[in-house]
Amino acid sequence: MDAVSKPALAFESAFTRRSIIASYFLVIFLALPLWWKTTSIERQALPVSRVYAATGRELAFPIHVALDTRNCEVGTDTIVQEVRHHVENNGEFKQNGLSVEVSSATATANDYQVVLRPGTRDPIVDGRKVTVEVAPEHAGVAALQLADTLATLLTPYTSLRSSQAERVVTYSPRYRLAFTLLNEDAAAGNAALSWDVQNALAAQLSPLLERLSVLHNFTIESQVQYHGPLAFEPRALQVGEQIEHGLTPGDLTVFVNSAEWTLSSSVSNDPVLHFVAFIPSSKHSPLRIVDSNGLPTSSNAFILPQWGGIIIHNPQSTGIVPTLAGRPLDTIFATFRQQLSALLGVPELPPHVHARTRGVAGVTDWQLDALVRRRAAENAASAQDTLQSIVRLVAQIEDMPVGEDVKGDVQDALAALDQAYSTAPSSSTEALTFASKAQSVASRAFFNPGMLALLYFPTEHKWAVYAPLFASVTAPLLASLIREVLAWKKERKAKARGPQPVDSQRPKAE
Amino acid sequence: MDFIVTFPALVAGRLVLALSPLTHYLRDDHLLSSPLTSYSRLQEGIYLFKHGIDPYSGSTFRHSPLLLSLFSTVIPLNEVTAAFLWTASDALAAWSLVRIWRARQNVSSSSRDSLIAGLYLLNPYTFLPSLGQSTSSFENALCLLSLMLACQKQASASLLALAFLIQLSLPSILLLLPLLLLLISEPTSHLASPFFFKTDIRRITPLAGQFAAYILLLSGAATLVCGNLNWVEKTWGASLTLPDLTPNPGLWWYFFTEMFDHFRPFFLIVFSVHLLIYVLPLCIKFQHDILYACYLLLGILSIFKAYPTLSDPGLFLSMLSLFPETFPYLHHPIVTALLHLHAALLLPLFHYLWLNQGTGNANFFYASTLVFGMANGAALLDSIWAGLRIAIGEVKEEHEVLQE
Amino acid sequence: MRLSVKSFLCSLCLGTLAVARLSEEFNEELHLRPLPDGKLAARFSFSTLLKGATPRHPETLGVEDESQLYTLFPLALGQILREYAVTELHLTLNAGNWNYDRWGYPDEPGVGTGAELWAWMGEGGTVTVDSRWRGLRNALAGLFCASLGSLDEQRTTSPVLTFQPEGSLPNGNASYQLRHATLPSEHVCTENLTPFLKLLPCKSLSGIASLLNPHKLFDADWHGLGVHVRYLESAGVEVRLAFQAVFDPVRAASDKRRDWSLSAVFDRRIERVCPVARSSVIRVRLPQNEVYAIIPSPSTMDKTYATYIVQEVGKPLDVAIIRPEETLFEYLIEPQTHISVHRTLNGASQHAGQLALTITNNHDIQLQTGYLETMPWLLQFYLHTLHAHIDGMPRDDLVKLISYIPPLPHVQPALLQAVLTLPPKTTLWLTMDVVKPFLAYTEHPPDAQRGWDLPPAVFVPFASQNGSETDSDPQLHAVLSDVRSTRMYTPVLLVDLATPDFSMPYNVIIMSCTLIALIFGMVFNLLTRQFVVVRVGEQSS
Repeated sequence: MDAVSKPALAFESAFTRRSIIASYFLVIFLALPLWWKTTSIERQALPVSRVYAATGRELAFPIHVALDTRNCEVGTDTIVQEVRHHVENNGEFKQNGLSVEVSSATATANDYQVVLRPGTRDPIVDGRKVTVEVAPEHAGVAALQLADTLATLLTPYTSLRSSQAERVVTYSPRYRLAFTLLNEDAAAGNAALSWDVQNALAAQLSPLLERLSVLHNFTIESQVQYHGPLAFEPRALQVGEQIEHGLTPGDLTVFVNSAEWTLSSSVSNDPVLHFVAFIPSSKHSPLRIVDSNGLPTSSNAFILPQWGGIIIHNPQSTGIVPTLAGRPLDTIFATFRQQLSALLGVPELPPHVHARTRGVAGVTDWQLDALVRRRAAENAASAQDTLQSIVRLVAQIEDMPVGEDVKGDVQDALAALDQAYSTAPSSSTEALTFASKAQSVASRAFFNPGMLALLYFPTEHKWAVYAPLFASVTAPLLASLIREVLAWKKERKAKARGPQPVDSQRPKAE
Repeated sequence: MDFIVTFPALVAGRLVLALSPLTHYLRDDHLLSSPLTSYSRLQEGIYLFKHGIDPYSGSTFRHSPLLLSLFSTVIPLNEVTAAFLWTASDALAAWSLVRIWRARQNVSSSSRDSLIAGLYLLNPYTFLPSLGQSTSSFENALCLLSLMLACQKQASASLLALAFLIQLSLPSILLLLPLLLLLISEPTSHLASPFFFKTDIRRITPLAGQFAAYILLLSGAATLVCGNLNWVEKTWGASLTLPDLTPNPGLWWYFFTEMFDHFRPFFLIVFSVHLLIYVLPLCIKFQHDILYACYLLLGILSIFKAYPTLSDPGLFLSMLSLFPETFPYLHHPIVTALLHLHAALLLPLFHYLWLNQGTGNANFFYASTLVFGMANGAALLDSIWAGLRIAIGEVKEEHEVLQE
Repeated sequence: MRLSVKSFLCSLCLGTLAVARLSEEFNEELHLRPLPDGKLAARFSFSTLLKGATPRHPETLGVEDESQLYTLFPLALGQILREYAVTELHLTLNAGNWNYDRWGYPDEPGVGTGAELWAWMGEGGTVTVDSRWRGLRNALAGLFCASLGSLDEQRTTSPVLTFQPEGSLPNGNASYQLRHATLPSEHVCTENLTPFLKLLPCKSLSGIASLLNPHKLFDADWHGLGVHVRYLESAGVEVRLAFQAVFDPVRAASDKRRDWSLSAVFDRRIERVCPVARSSVIRVRLPQNEVYAIIPSPSTMDKTYATYIVQEVGKPLDVAIIRPEETLFEYLIEPQTHISVHRTLNGASQHAGQLALTITNNHDIQLQTGYLETMPWLLQFYLHTLHAHIDGMPRDDLVKLISYIPPLPHVQPALLQAVLTLPPKTTLWLTMDVVKPFLAYTEHPPDAQRGWDLPPAVFVPFASQNGSETDSDPQLHAVLSDVRSTRMYTPVLLVDLATPDFSMPYNVIIMSCTLIALIFGMVFNLLTRQFVVVRVGEQSS
């Protein structure tokens, strides 16, 4: 085919053509911000380096122990030296982030005071003071004995059995305590129709809750149930003349019949601790807890780890009790109190140490301080873990949106964590407050629902959606652009070679 | 035949049809009226407005507040007034088309006047929506009126008509630039002899300012009528965000019915920007005959706007009669005509099968909208081709004109 | 056996003693009445009163709440009420259509099919009413294993005219808000009954509640459960759990007779009393103008009712009514209510239709009725087409529009409240055109072809105001006093919406985009390329 010359047309001038192409690109260029806005996934930069910098950091609690040896013949300086030596050799303190400083200075309010006295009685705790009596014949090992006592008092958790550790509930700033009077079958006799829960709570539990208020807040609720059947049949025991019924350790683990008992509702996110007073029906009365050999034990209460406590109440006389009150109820609530403190991780005093008064709800300052330190350390570590998980997850999944709120939460958690570290030396309670805040903010960031938006839309699909339009639209646009650039270069070369008559048209293949 | 005779006859015929009960059956047809132009929805809006309920607080009513105030205060809208109004709007449109033709030919009357008026009034794509009392008839009339006034160099009136048109239908903003250029150039045909735009382009600035003032004025009036700004989102916003997925002969509705939620905003942007992208190139290419660029942009709108009805391609096809000089250069008029015929049969059939009969499914109707899109595309492309090709004129035998 | 009797006696005397001391009170009642079409309506009502309690004030939501120490009051429900500071709450879950024409008014007015939840909540405090409403929905959904969580804003309205508080609202000056939502597609089942029973102090193990046998209840022609919480200024907070069912003794009996007994209907008898129930009463409405026998002998009896005090009569208790002279029961049906309502959705098209209602006044006096539609945006009204006809004559004057809130897709349903005037002994035809919207493919449920359930309309008949002549006529006066604001629910509707093809997303993207790209590319080429004139024919090549 041969091309034939034709008249030059105004709309075919290079200028017209180039301005047309330029106008296409102009609109696309102007639309770019909108494009960007509608397709970009918000991914705020997380303070990754700060998160990793916090790794392995532990709360440090300096402990001042004032040694009072006035009543002792031993030289103050020597015994201080010796105790220091033993404390430094004891790894337990370091493990728990405690730096113990022993001195003979007089104790201030927040210091622990150790009074050394000749005698043979067991150590006695009173407030932050412990009185240790040393028999004259054991004066040589007094320092070692002292250091050991200090270790058991200041770090009571290292000696905890794992079963005891497992039943402690995870920390929460607020717990709901649900007390239930559960009659197995009230219509069949042997039941309590109501209980004087208000007074029992005031008498037995309120002091403890007050004492623990530095750690937790509590919401209290109670109910009475009249039909709470067991999911299994307790085994019958012949005890003397009587038939009794027994719960084996196996039965205890399945004791809670969650299908039939209405114990909790999901109305709030606070963890619930259940305390159930179970009154067996006349058919199963009396009900005892038996050991693995099938012999009745003296105990009538047990703890379900992380869940709560149950006490089996066999009333003195069978029949319907209109209101459970007075001594039997006090006994029940006293047990509930012990179960609660065990569930919350209040350490027990070492067996050979006695408290002078059990007046402060049975929790001495030593115990409370240890609990606060432990909860603070726990929360700080958990917050660190959560933050690291977030950072790892975000790095792993490229399409995960990270909103301003997530970033803010992570920053807040880091700030709270820093504050926890910095306040730990001066106040373990404040450290706990900050550490617990860090933990809750960090987990809020972790569970932010906005991060899940695109988890299920793989990248390949995106191309399948974009390609049909954009591949076919951009091809002619780019081709023309390249052609124009080439033509323009050629023109410039031609111009450089020599002045030629201006021809608005491109050279044609003739 | 004499235009003085035929035109009233045609209009009278239209009026008889408009008064017939046919309108009832066509009123809610998705091909003839979109949610933005439906007569029933207009009635609903007026009813709510009269009962003191903000019609824009719901989603049914998406008409301009100007129509609302017109029909709730000046003209009561009922069967009879509606028949007269829609007929009048068609007559105005046809008359404007004739006046544009005359301006383009630079004559005071011509023998083709009747033909051109007939092509508008008898075009099924325009008179069926008008019988269905779709307010798209008003849009067409305003559009032609605006072009006619621009051809006659009545700048203010023309811009005011355009401002009214944009109140009714946002996508018509595409016509702003060519209309401004038309105001400072000639409407007569220069397709055969292209030249560079002669007038100083800066002359459009005061005109644009005037237009902005009209838009502000009308928007202010609309806001006054409603008492709040809800109408912006409900009327103009609908053309951009496609909140109502009612089927229509266009390309948007099924695309966004099936689109994944995550990509919806992005493709809404793409579809809207895509409309804008044609304005400058067409104006540059047809700078010697801006009226032709207007015509082509109406073709673009009829294919790609968010809520088209049959009256949009109807306007485009009716305007074809203004450019008889291009007819010899059309590439494939038969193919285009057959495609249109095909689509015109398929669209109502498949719509009926899917939504009334229940024997078809959505894909049937979607496929016919694709055919319809192809038919309109073919008409548009052929018009562009012919409008350019005419400049070369006749070539010798055994020669052919191609684009490299 | 002797032991159980002894313990029962013991429990009886001690039980009454104990209950007298409590600040909580539990009463249970079973109401049985024969229906004109031979069926038997049973209504269980269990109410617990928390004496002297007040609903939580919303402004105290930020501060520590008092301890919730309950004995009989259901703790799980009490927690929800306090957490969201709910003053009054009504939840009903019903299955089947209550047939007003045959059965008359139900004992419990809330008989709309599916789930209905409405609550009055005080304003104020930091937490908004809407967010508490959301929390309440979700909490109740969890409590009753029902999909109440989907009673979202798209179904929530505030029809204050129809749903007035049944109790009192504390602090008269504080403002209260109503939230109401229905979910007609929810079906009540055993999974909802189990948590319902758990809220009862005696569950279904003793007392009247022991008759609640799921196998029989869910076999009934109609059944529904309800939870009603209200505040009574003089008494306290009352929780009433109700179960209502319509049984068909004729269907169950082999000899097609209407005789029934507790054991035949429920497959259970009352073996023992609930020890904490203050009163436990079975009331049986006696057949009128018929020969019958009732066993065992009731505690008290008058012309219309036989009453059994469960604690007093011998157990096991099995009430039965026998009609010795009746051999075969035949239906005798005439409308039992003041008005009869039927609602249909006409039109086969998937994009438009017509909502049609026929309302018949069965009385000789003019009545008025409130008319409430809470319609999700799946059906949109053309209100301008709302017309009334009587015998083909347009009577638009009988319809008075009170309020209308148009629907907003994905946001709120439509709320239409109107008052209709019904001339004596006439039928009013009400029609309105509707449009059905088109949904994106992600918005359709998995079984999209099934259609969508639409909530019932609610009618509240009341006596016409121009009552000068009615005062003189004692019969009309009786009718009027009987027409109390009882809500009547119409049956639900099913609307089918046009569906897109669910397998098409990528196809549509490809095809539509190809067409657009084709036109775009060709226009671009036409505008940027140049013409060439070439010679064709024999010389070439």
